[in-house]
Amino acid sequence: MTGALHRYLPLVILALLWEAATRLGIVSTLALPPLSQVLRAAYDLARSGDLLTNAAASLYRAGAGLALSIVIGGALGIAMAWWRPVNVVVGPLVELFYPVPKSALIPVTALWLGFGDGSKILLIFLGCMIPVTLGAFNGARSSDQALIWSARSMGASRLRVLWDVVVPSALPELLNGVRTALALSFVLLVSAELIVARSGLGYMIGFLGAGGTYDGMFAAVLTVAFLGFVADRIYQRLMNRVLQWRE
Amino acid sequence: MTRRRVAMPGLVGSMAWWMARWIAIAVLLVAWEGLARSGLVTPFMLPSLSVVLARIWSDALSGDLLQNLWLTLYRALAGFAIAAGAGTALGVLIARNRFIRWFFDPLISVGFPMPKIAFLPIIALWLGYNDASKMTMVVFDSIFPVVTAAIAGTLAVEKELLWSARNMGASERQLLWEIVLPAALPQVLTGLQVALPIALIVSIVAEMTMGGAGLGSAMMVASRFADSPGVFAGITEIAVAGYCLVKCMALLRRRLLLWHQEALAPATA
Amino acid sequence: MMRYSALRGQRAGVRRIVSGNSNIVIDKVSHLYRPSRGREVLALDDVSLEIRGQEFIALLGPSGCGKSTLLYLIGGFLATGKGSISVGGKPVAGPGPDRGIVFQHFALFPWKTVRANILYGLEKLGLPRAERERRAQSFIDLVGLRGFEDSYPSQLSGGMKQRAAIARTLAIDPAILLMDEPFGALDAQTRNLMQSELLAIWQRSPKTVIFVTHDVREAVYLADRVVVMSARPGRVKAIVDTKFDRSDSDIFKTKAFIDKIDEIWCLVRDEALKAQAREDESA
Repeated sequence: MTGALHRYLPLVILALLWEAATRLGIVSTLALPPLSQVLRAAYDLARSGDLLTNAAASLYRAGAGLALSIVIGGALGIAMAWWRPVNVVVGPLVELFYPVPKSALIPVTALWLGFGDGSKILLIFLGCMIPVTLGAFNGARSSDQALIWSARSMGASRLRVLWDVVVPSALPELLNGVRTALALSFVLLVSAELIVARSGLGYMIGFLGAGGTYDGMFAAVLTVAFLGFVADRIYQRLMNRVLQWRE
Repeated sequence: MTRRRVAMPGLVGSMAWWMARWIAIAVLLVAWEGLARSGLVTPFMLPSLSVVLARIWSDALSGDLLQNLWLTLYRALAGFAIAAGAGTALGVLIARNRFIRWFFDPLISVGFPMPKIAFLPIIALWLGYNDASKMTMVVFDSIFPVVTAAIAGTLAVEKELLWSARNMGASERQLLWEIVLPAALPQVLTGLQVALPIALIVSIVAEMTMGGAGLGSAMMVASRFADSPGVFAGITEIAVAGYCLVKCMALLRRRLLLWHQEALAPATA
Repeated sequence: MMRYSALRGQRAGVRRIVSGNSNIVIDKVSHLYRPSRGREVLALDDVSLEIRGQEFIALLGPSGCGKSTLLYLIGGFLATGKGSISVGGKPVAGPGPDRGIVFQHFALFPWKTVRANILYGLEKLGLPRAERERRAQSFIDLVGLRGFEDSYPSQLSGGMKQRAAIARTLAIDPAILLMDEPFGALDAQTRNLMQSELLAIWQRSPKTVIFVTHDVREAVYLADRVVVMSARPGRVKAIVDTKFDRSDSDIFKTKAFIDKIDEIWCLVRDEALKAQAREDESA
């Protein structure tokens, strides 16, 4: 426990500096509300339900988009690795869309689906497909030929081998691709909500900022940042648990 | 006697692969045009390729394209340059100094998975709606991969390289500039290669949020006016710009790491 | 042969750190190895040794016996804790061009060509430009790398890399040559060739050579004296005279040579077994 404290001590120090600098007037409280005030604002927002409803909206969008991209992207990546024709058809598509910055799709999804949930889910789905598909593809391709042959020689059908051998072998790279997608989903979510939304955490940040409620704005920003960090950490734990058999 | 480079094995193979890619892209473009014209989707949903290309052309002629492109690239590349310089320096410092490493470790560890774009409104509050805030956002987002790469590269410098140099009388300062930095260069460049696309997209998102001309801003305007060709033109322009930047960076890497890439060429004698 | 004698006459203009006497005196040296993670380990325990100028010494022992550590201490890369090491009467205070080092994995600067690698040390010595270029070229020729001056290390084979590394160290003309299993990364045939070449170079310009190896035959062939070290913590187990007539090409077949190898191998074998046992314990 003390190890963790020692590790995060610089953050604690920064927090204290923040509070001190603003309270002592070194930094204008207009530009930078004191940390205690920000925390107070976060508490108020939580109490009033604003924080929760917006967070729920955001997490719903990110979750849905991410889930779709994992299922479809994962299946697609493995299919590409396993069946040649799929690779030939879909491969160039993936290669073509790889260099397209995913956030550039914000205006087009807004164009198609407006300011609601749909455009965000579509955006996150499209954006996160790439890292997941690539992870699944590379992972499936790297499965040990010897393992596949062993399974086949024991009478497994091609489909069974796919399920029993290829998918587990692909897991490490696939899970890493999902980790990238997770971080990307947050970025796309916040970006989209800052620009083209009427609800959600990103929207809340903009709304509070425009209204001059800066301590609330800071609170929302910290909430989002914190959520992104926590999501990654939790995912890391899960990933390590699943991959325990790896040396 | 100058040694000539041996032709890469499978050169013909890699050329065929390269051509296959471009053929596949050509097929895709044809499919795009076909789909748009087929009537399965409305011109609003998917404007035909020819319309989009015409739009890009007219933007180019009117000078809009160049102006927007220049602004976006300027913000992205200026921010990238700052992130590259400061990030490398910081990374090397962190790798070599225990206290600084202790201080920055949680900052990097917590900062990496955060959607840093969420801080854009705060930066806008502090610096206003202008180039400076956009560039600051670019720096903030793209410095992370540079720092981590610089740390990794510096830590990975073989002890024996440093000892050999000291053996020959190099001072601490000479060690840093003549040995550590060149040895860490491959990894630092990898970090820069990751940071460059990030710089571009952050610049664009900042424009979408704040306005102020540039490719992102123009795309957002088109979106608000339901100008579908405009939006698609924007995506294409950004994709091409991104692709060119990445290619340039790869070429630069090849040039700088001539000695490194050679490791992939077959050894003779 | 003629090239190198001509070089020796030119030495007058070169800045020499240690002149004349290059005796090495190692006096009751102990060294504690403190890894960043895990327990600290006593690498060397009360080692004392005296090496005369221009002698060829082999440090022989099982892995983990501290022979490389002793080399690094002489080289000044590690700080002496207990005990002292002095060269030519002066205590070792840090690395320097008077004790040139050659590593097992060559440690060539990969971003520099062969020539640039060799020039590096010469630049640090502060030689004038023409002199640097000339010396570099002569050492390139000496180790047989003519034609590869502008190649990068990644383009060279293992044997060539090691020759480049040796040339780089020889170019700064150190009075003492420290070699840390320099041929360990090479295949057997290249290793044999390099051993003969090293002897040839050494005979032309005698230096004190401290050669770390775990290969008994290599040690007996190359060295005047072999220092057999015990398993960790390293102590001097025995010092054996191994001066042979190296110009005799059938030396490996003579009874005296083979007996000497046997003698030393017996000394080493116990230590090797101990080291192996310790590894199995900690695994």
